[in-house]
Amino acid sequence: MVCSGCGCLCDDLDITINGGEVVEVANVCRWGVNRFFNGKKFHATKQRCRLRSPQLRRQGRLTDVTYEEALGQAAVILTRARRPLLYGFTNVGCTAQEAALKLAQALSARLEPADLPLMVPYYQSVKKYGLFLAPLDIIRDQADAILFWGANPLHSAPRHLVRYSAFARGRFTERGLEDRQLAAVDIFRSELASFCHLFVEITPGQDLLLIQQVIGRLTGAPEPAQRIKGARRLADFLTAASYAVIICGRGVGYGPAVEIFDRLGELAAHLRQEKPLAILPLSGDFNSAGLYHLLLRHLGEVGAPDFAGGSLAIHTSVVNFQEVDAILVAGADLWWHLPEATRQHLLARQVPLVLLSPFANQTSTQAEVVLPVALTGVETNDVAYRLDGLPLPLRQILPTDLPPDHQVLSDLRLFL
Amino acid sequence: MRLKISGGRLFDPANGWEGVEQDLYIDQDRLVSQLSQVDRVINAHGQVVVAGGIDLHGQVASYGLHYLRLWENAPTPQEQGNAYAALGYTHIHEPFLTLNTANYVHRELAALPLVDTSASLVVNLRELDLWLKSPDRRREVGEALLFLLHQTRALHLSVREPFVRYRQDFYAHRSLRPEMTLEFLTALAQELSVKITLAAGPEIIDLPLPEPRCLHLSALGAVLQNEASLAAALGHLEKGATADMGLLPAAAPRQPQRGPLLIDLGFFQPLNLFPARPEDQGEQALSLALRHQGKQLAFSGAAIPSDPSTDYPAMFSWLWDKSARPQNWQKVTALREYSLSEWVWATRTMPAQVLGLTDRGHLGPGARADVALYDLPPEANRRQWRTFLGRCRTLIKGGEIIIDNFNLVRSHVKKTTWFRATEIPSGPLVEEICQQRSLRPEHLWVQPEMGNNWEPV
Repeated sequence: MVCSGCGCLCDDLDITINGGEVVEVANVCRWGVNRFFNGKKFHATKQRCRLRSPQLRRQGRLTDVTYEEALGQAAVILTRARRPLLYGFTNVGCTAQEAALKLAQALSARLEPADLPLMVPYYQSVKKYGLFLAPLDIIRDQADAILFWGANPLHSAPRHLVRYSAFARGRFTERGLEDRQLAAVDIFRSELASFCHLFVEITPGQDLLLIQQVIGRLTGAPEPAQRIKGARRLADFLTAASYAVIICGRGVGYGPAVEIFDRLGELAAHLRQEKPLAILPLSGDFNSAGLYHLLLRHLGEVGAPDFAGGSLAIHTSVVNFQEVDAILVAGADLWWHLPEATRQHLLARQVPLVLLSPFANQTSTQAEVVLPVALTGVETNDVAYRLDGLPLPLRQILPTDLPPDHQVLSDLRLFL
Repeated sequence: MRLKISGGRLFDPANGWEGVEQDLYIDQDRLVSQLSQVDRVINAHGQVVVAGGIDLHGQVASYGLHYLRLWENAPTPQEQGNAYAALGYTHIHEPFLTLNTANYVHRELAALPLVDTSASLVVNLRELDLWLKSPDRRREVGEALLFLLHQTRALHLSVREPFVRYRQDFYAHRSLRPEMTLEFLTALAQELSVKITLAAGPEIIDLPLPEPRCLHLSALGAVLQNEASLAAALGHLEKGATADMGLLPAAAPRQPQRGPLLIDLGFFQPLNLFPARPEDQGEQALSLALRHQGKQLAFSGAAIPSDPSTDYPAMFSWLWDKSARPQNWQKVTALREYSLSEWVWATRTMPAQVLGLTDRGHLGPGARADVALYDLPPEANRRQWRTFLGRCRTLIKGGEIIIDNFNLVRSHVKKTTWFRATEIPSGPLVEEICQQRSLRPEHLWVQPEMGNNWEPV
């Protein structure tokens, strides 16, 4: 059974079902287990509230309505909007992503991947400096130096460390951690510091300078006047590697991601003259790779496709929420992601939200229309792409009356 | 549907038909010798009738290939399928499927419309190194490979690196020289009665092949470095090896400023999708295709995996028209010209034989009804062939008309991915191979969710 908890898509889960209920899950992390028991991330005892019935906001309160009523209202909201936005889609299956792309086209809307701030700068760097692509198996087998940059897999992809990177035993890394060197760069001392051989703590915004100094040291440039602590050791760490991987987490997306990925790309291009080096973005969402694969396959570019005016434009910068006047959210908790100022602005402008979600979340508290959906990979079948771009089937193990998200998106298109 | 193709000139080297005027009959998805009643008659007077094309090296679904779209204005799978159909192709063979990427490849193949597909399972000999050292375990290796062929829904076996080398010094003692692995692979191919494809490389060209008739050399032209390697390659063909041409376009890479695109799938060298090529390599490749006088060469291109079919009409014309060859390729300007039958052999008959598709690549009764009709008046000169044979007037696949009067009339037809069904049980070697994976075996085997309609050959 494949876990749809995060981008690792661990396929070794053993699940015991008794009387139509999951009673035991083996080989699962604390995050993944909550997919099967409706618990909160890392808090198994705290239950998440399942959405069971379509709802519309009437006089400020969400009230239960029929599926058709909810779809009809969602269609009215989205068709009346001049700049509709479809947001999220990194935590849904491939079929739903395909349906979302068709819906965006039909609505002349913009489709904004939830992790665009991390992934698009990565692809821009790939375009400029080239790509060394390796599946996670190969990284596990070969990489003897792993650098986590603004990434904490314990929180974004918990089993990454034991299955593919730090502790995993591969063909040429049979002793796991003993056969590898680990380093991490972050703005605060994370749990990684307890087992990484090198932990470089920087202040926010120092990333660029740090990479610059590492490149300088590797290329023999003169010593900078103001050294960043750890730059020299980090350069030595990369020099000593025979096969290196830089894993970039969402922390990169919170800073000047375009510039950071650009410099990391430059660093990688320099090191690749001597050794294999892969850069791997660690999104955390379970089907982020699937969405970008879809965009590349059908549109030839990655970013936020915008069908406004009947033509296609691909945006590489984050959407300006001041421009949108209706939002459909699926596979993400938009309200949780947004800064307070943006939330207040959306509230002030009364921008209506349509939400597709299996669970109540911060976005559902603000939504005009709530459409509950089946939980992908537990209550409905689909396909998702692992972090490294390999597709895996997600299978239904529990029955449900709720429709899958791709069906809701397709039905919504019929109501336009 | 029952069809009659009336009055066309049939070119089918397998049956010895070289422009013979004869009616063809199609009943459902098969060619038959005669039908008393038909639903439709296709008037093929003045047209050339050949079997549907088979691209032996249509790299359209390899892992990581979609990244090419970051640099190139590559067509979508829909456009790619349409382009192949317009050229008269009905079957595309993806040459690069590994155990890890089988699901990926099949999902990509499923997205390619109109044409049938298949794939080669590329074996990494590093996973078999201990077995390769023991000839008495050859049977075990053969069974394991056949089992994997079935589970990955692949049609053909291929070896990318016919040697075992390690980057890690610690494992140097487990390296195997190509001479040893070639001997093993040859014996294995004989035992299994299959052809094994070798990705041609400089190491292979200069070596004597133990039994060339068991081996197929993939994209051979693309690895020819000099006259000596060209002579060696021709020698392999004369001794019975088959190969595909691996022709390269005349133009330089379109965007030399783009970065490298390297895919590491656990082989000694990563797959390089933007390889640096010597300027005269295209000329060497064409030279090989023209100098070989026998029937051992199939047509293939080797340079633009993102859109292999784009350059095919130009490459076809190099084969049959001296004046179409690039002006600066002086070595090939005076070499022979292919006849129409030879072109049909290289693009249809030979690829079908290499893949073991006995009911394709020819127009005999019982063959699958994959038929392409081109406007080619008998009086047309060779310069005009590119215009006429670069686009088919009618394309029939599995008895269904896809292109009619140059127009795509059916955008959705039943398409099939063909694989070799072996029904061999798993063994200890398979367990050993799978033990090294991050995915459980059941997820390495191709899953129905990947969207293909698989059928065994």
